[in-house]
Amino acid sequence: MVRLSAALLKNAGTELGSLGKTLSEFLVCPLSKQPLRYCEETNSLISDTIGVSFPIKDGIPCLVPKDGKILDTEDTSKSEDTASSSAKNEDNQG
Amino acid sequence: MALRTVTRKLGRQVLPIFSSSQLHSHATSFGFKEVREEEKSQMVGNVFTSVASNYDLMNDLMSAGLHRLWKERLISKLNPFPGMKHLDVAGGTGDVAFRILETINSVKRRALQDFLEDNLLEETQIYICDINPNMLNVGKKRALERGLGEDRSLTWVEGDAESLNFVNDSMDGYTIAFGIRNVTHIEKVLAEAYRVLKRGGRFLCLELSHVEIPIFKELYDYYSFSVIPAMGELVAGDRESYQYLVESIRRFPSQEKFASMIADAGFQKVEYENLVGGVVATHSGLKI
Repeated sequence: MVRLSAALLKNAGTELGSLGKTLSEFLVCPLSKQPLRYCEETNSLISDTIGVSFPIKDGIPCLVPKDGKILDTEDTSKSEDTASSSAKNEDNQG
Repeated sequence: MALRTVTRKLGRQVLPIFSSSQLHSHATSFGFKEVREEEKSQMVGNVFTSVASNYDLMNDLMSAGLHRLWKERLISKLNPFPGMKHLDVAGGTGDVAFRILETINSVKRRALQDFLEDNLLEETQIYICDINPNMLNVGKKRALERGLGEDRSLTWVEGDAESLNFVNDSMDGYTIAFGIRNVTHIEKVLAEAYRVLKRGGRFLCLELSHVEIPIFKELYDYYSFSVIPAMGELVAGDRESYQYLVESIRRFPSQEKFASMIADAGFQKVEYENLVGGVVATHSGLKI
């Protein structure tokens, strides 16, 4: 109940963030069937197991296998703390 | 010519159902055309991108409004209940999902007090999964028009029926209405449906099927091949997409054959029902 009313009070901007979080609870990677992690910065869902990122467009997660982008080229260039995250991404791709 | 391709398709379907996902370039059907497997999804994608905006109008015209009754029939078989987790595949325009939600809401109103409603409202989850973003956009727009835009029971996801993005054993129900005909590998879709359903979960499919009744069959063929493409051209300005539609119906497995494919995927109590002499059929199966 608290969760519901809190969600209703949120504006459109943060709604996407909470959507992303909720989504990562019931959605899995269409390829590995492993959990997805919501990345606020890129507004995408990340499959750490295979190192692939799936975009969220207009609040709709795009989880068709061909929508996935292999991390490392796309993601790491954007973030400032690339060192840690790119290392992590590379690890995951092995 | 059609006969040859049909035989070929049947041959393909007796292959083991869980063959590897990286199948080599088999031929598959795009209507009566033979195309490479990789091309089919692209070509089907083009069809649905092209018809998305007129989709529901054309359904009304082509079926003389009957598709509404067929969908109602599907939902009455599903028997939706408050709190259920349901996945509707290939239902981008929301037609099936809205009906399920409305059925649940009316059941709930009869059965429960206000204070319980909030909780259950949050629990009910209907996921609408479609591979085509244009169809999903039409659905989201319609949800807004129906006052369901903020409804947290509806979740829209762009996904592939052959490679679903939902957790194992997570759904009480699975529906696919007028969708499975358009996929490249029916077996994979069935295997994925089986995977995401809970034990006791129900698979339901509504699909244009085969008419075998003499005379009615001839009339239906005339209507399909002469009237529908012309209607598509006139109303939606798109003859090819509707030519594909009628051809793809003829290429889809027969009621019996499709039922045996559902059973092969592991479903129990597989049954089907013809509506309007087989113009459409509902198939159902239980994961036990």
